[in-house]
Amino acid sequence: MDGFIELRGIRKKFQGVPAVDDASLTLNRGEVFSLLGPSGCGKTTLLRILGGFETPDAGRIIIDGQDITDLPPNKRPINTVFQNYALFPHLTLWDNVGFGLKMAGRPRKFIDSEVERMLDLVDLLDHAEKKPHQISGGQKQRVAIARALINKPQLLLLDEPLAALDLKLRQRMLLELDRIHDEVGITFLYVTHDQGEAMSLSDRIAVMNHGKIEQIGRPMEVYEAPSSSFVAAFIGDTNFFKANVSASADADYSRLSIDKLPPVLAYNDKKLQTGQQVYLSIRPEKFRIQREKPSDGERLNMLKGKVLDIIYLGSNTKFRVECGGHILMITQQHARFMLDTSPLTWEEEVWVSWNADDGYMLQRYEEADTRLLNLPAEEPVP
Amino acid sequence: MKRSWREWAISLPSMGWLVFFFVIPTILVCGIAFKPRSINGGIGDGWTLGTWLDVLQPSYPLVVWRTLWLSGMTTLICLLVSVPVAYWLARLSREARNWMLLLIILPFWTNFLIRVFAWWSLLHSQGWLKQALAWVGLVSPDAQLLYNEWAVLLVLVYTYIPFAILPLFASAEKFDFSLLDAARDLGAGKLRAFVSVFLPGISQGMITAFVVVFIPALGSYAIPDIVGGPQSEMIGNKIAQKVFVDRNLPHASALATLLALVVLLPVLYSIFTQRRQKRGNGGRRS
Amino acid sequence: MRKRSRLPMFVTLGVLLFLYAPILVLILYSFNDSRYPGAWQGFTLKWYRMLLEANSVEARDIWRATRNTLVVAFAATIISMVFGTMAAWAMYRFRSRLQSLHQMLVYAPLVVPDILMGISLLMLFVNMSVNLGLTTIVVSHTTFCISYVALVVLGRLQDFDHTLVDAARDLGANGFAVCVRILLPLLGPGIAAGGLLAFTLSVDDFVITFFTAGPGSTTLPVQVYSMMRHGTPTLINALSVIFIIVTFSVVIFSQRVLQRKNNTHPHI
Repeated sequence: MDGFIELRGIRKKFQGVPAVDDASLTLNRGEVFSLLGPSGCGKTTLLRILGGFETPDAGRIIIDGQDITDLPPNKRPINTVFQNYALFPHLTLWDNVGFGLKMAGRPRKFIDSEVERMLDLVDLLDHAEKKPHQISGGQKQRVAIARALINKPQLLLLDEPLAALDLKLRQRMLLELDRIHDEVGITFLYVTHDQGEAMSLSDRIAVMNHGKIEQIGRPMEVYEAPSSSFVAAFIGDTNFFKANVSASADADYSRLSIDKLPPVLAYNDKKLQTGQQVYLSIRPEKFRIQREKPSDGERLNMLKGKVLDIIYLGSNTKFRVECGGHILMITQQHARFMLDTSPLTWEEEVWVSWNADDGYMLQRYEEADTRLLNLPAEEPVP
Repeated sequence: MKRSWREWAISLPSMGWLVFFFVIPTILVCGIAFKPRSINGGIGDGWTLGTWLDVLQPSYPLVVWRTLWLSGMTTLICLLVSVPVAYWLARLSREARNWMLLLIILPFWTNFLIRVFAWWSLLHSQGWLKQALAWVGLVSPDAQLLYNEWAVLLVLVYTYIPFAILPLFASAEKFDFSLLDAARDLGAGKLRAFVSVFLPGISQGMITAFVVVFIPALGSYAIPDIVGGPQSEMIGNKIAQKVFVDRNLPHASALATLLALVVLLPVLYSIFTQRRQKRGNGGRRS
Repeated sequence: MRKRSRLPMFVTLGVLLFLYAPILVLILYSFNDSRYPGAWQGFTLKWYRMLLEANSVEARDIWRATRNTLVVAFAATIISMVFGTMAAWAMYRFRSRLQSLHQMLVYAPLVVPDILMGISLLMLFVNMSVNLGLTTIVVSHTTFCISYVALVVLGRLQDFDHTLVDAARDLGANGFAVCVRILLPLLGPGIAAGGLLAFTLSVDDFVITFFTAGPGSTTLPVQVYSMMRHGTPTLINALSVIFIIVTFSVVIFSQRVLQRKNNTHPHI
């Protein structure tokens, strides 16, 4: 869209080790953009560079056409919600929220009315005279947001803002953040290691690993069409297959040969030629698992396998199925009442099937990324 | 670039002050020890080893030995008494513990000389303690309790006990007392559990206590000066005597250098043991 | 569960008795109507009267020494609070070769015996041909007080959350505003505690002062020492009691103030 905020080729090394390696991003006005990645991937460093707390070794930051790379934090139209909130312990909530306007030298009357408005926005007007240690974690979180928003920044940085809260509170705060964003309409840059938070809150996500941006896209894009094994494994669970293109079926689909398995059909959006090697990622919930051989559908892949493990989780069940020496992770949703059925059991022979569109070809593959999978399938076949 | 400029600006005042008024004077003392004495009590020109020959004369090894002996005994007694105190304090409730700590520290907010003087008046030939002991028959009525090594040792212990209690308490507070129960559960006797579980558990505190008692005790001057006599002088007394009585600054400097060398030994020892401990832990972790 | 040994408790009570007995006896002696510490000769307040009546020679010397002591302590405290706080901030904020050197410099005076510090400063002053007096005492006291202030402030800084500074900068505060609005209010109690320690150490110091004081710049501990040697010991008893009352009330008062401060701003 409009490319409101631009990061161009940002690099930063700490003691010779690259923390951010050639990161470029464009944020649109008013969107919620997430930086997602494991700890140590450089997302917090990138955020600190944006906030002005670190100086990049190379690269520029441009907001609305103005280069702010060399401005100190107090001169940037950017405010931050810190991970541990960083509320000033010696000031009341009122004074915490009013701090930014006071620094800007605004008149007293204006400050008072703005603070009142912001505290009202986060529903804490009744606690205005309390000190930070007298309120709960969720309330601190809201004060931190109100304090950061009062200066009407062009960009709000949120550094793992929910990490210190428990699960229930985190879910409530996610909704609250959504509401606040709708109300103020400021661009949010949200840093998190929690894919659930990123997926549910963001318009777009940048997945980072080892200081590099692996992929940028809408939540559905990064989940359904991961560019690398890292993205596929970090966001959700998946199954990887090493394959060779053996023949092209038609314009869009290719036949792949996988070791010890019958040929499978996959959508070839990468325009790979016959003989080229590729890694295929198939999400666990894309599989169907059943006793009877499924009827031949259009572009349906099917394999015969044996159930190794069953983990019943209520709303769904996870299976580990062995097919020709490969171990597949399969998730089945339960749409029907389960007690009336005769569920699958260990050692049963089953049919596993999936649509050719559901196998996604990766651009990059690293063996190490398999370690990110929730249930590693590395035990030898019995 | 900007960052290092800031670092220098904020570090320089204290570093400059300490270099000028601590490091340089220390080097100066070592240097003056190799200077001759001038006739008017100052420092002469040229260099000499003569002062060191004087310092190594027969009476000094005895003073050095006495200094080491008195400081060592003081440290030993302080540790022996402070370990049970630390153990007991650490097992008290939080509030009781704070009160007890305040009680232990409070006397030491009174002036150091006044506390020494209090002992002087107690041990004095007409002092109440002396009178009481004589009345019970523990000492003869004309015995002299002051001006000997025992009086010096007593007051040294009195002065340095809190310095031993505080670090020992600090590490006893962190000690996990369920370990003692575990040791008892595995068949260790009470004393055995105390010696082989509790004492190693507070070893860091013992090293600190050792350093903060032994080193200042080595440099004692006022205590042996007030409650000691000519037969219980320590290096500190000799230094002061050379400065104020004999006006022999090179000689005093040589003695101070000697004392500094003696002090350096326990410091190096504690640094060495801490290094080794750290390395030992690191090795186990990896 | 067998009974816990009572030995540690008895040792502790014994230690407390050992610590307090001499001080209690000292207080009693100060009311004893005898020129020398000894048998009880009856209750008197004459030693206190002698101290408080300004016309006696002893009283004049004591009050002058008291004034000197306070002047030295205030000066040394203020200088060491500034330098010590800066040193603590530098050691907290930066991790570099320079700071390990800085740390060594700050810690060294803490382990060096007083008498070594006293004589080395004396040698410096003699070498520079400086006249010994209040200034040399202030310089000497500042030298060891810097280390103590730095130590106390650094201890408080361990709990200090540096993102508060980031947050203030983020909200538009410049360096000066960060100092005045964030650092001073939050580190104030720590700096005050360091200053209080420096003040008491300065008032208490005898050995270093003894080496670096000149004629006419006697401080109270040095005055007490010379009275012990040449004057009326009983007068010291009365003086000690006044001293004890003042220091105990200062300690207890500051303890309460610091505690109340801590209650309102607990470290998170």
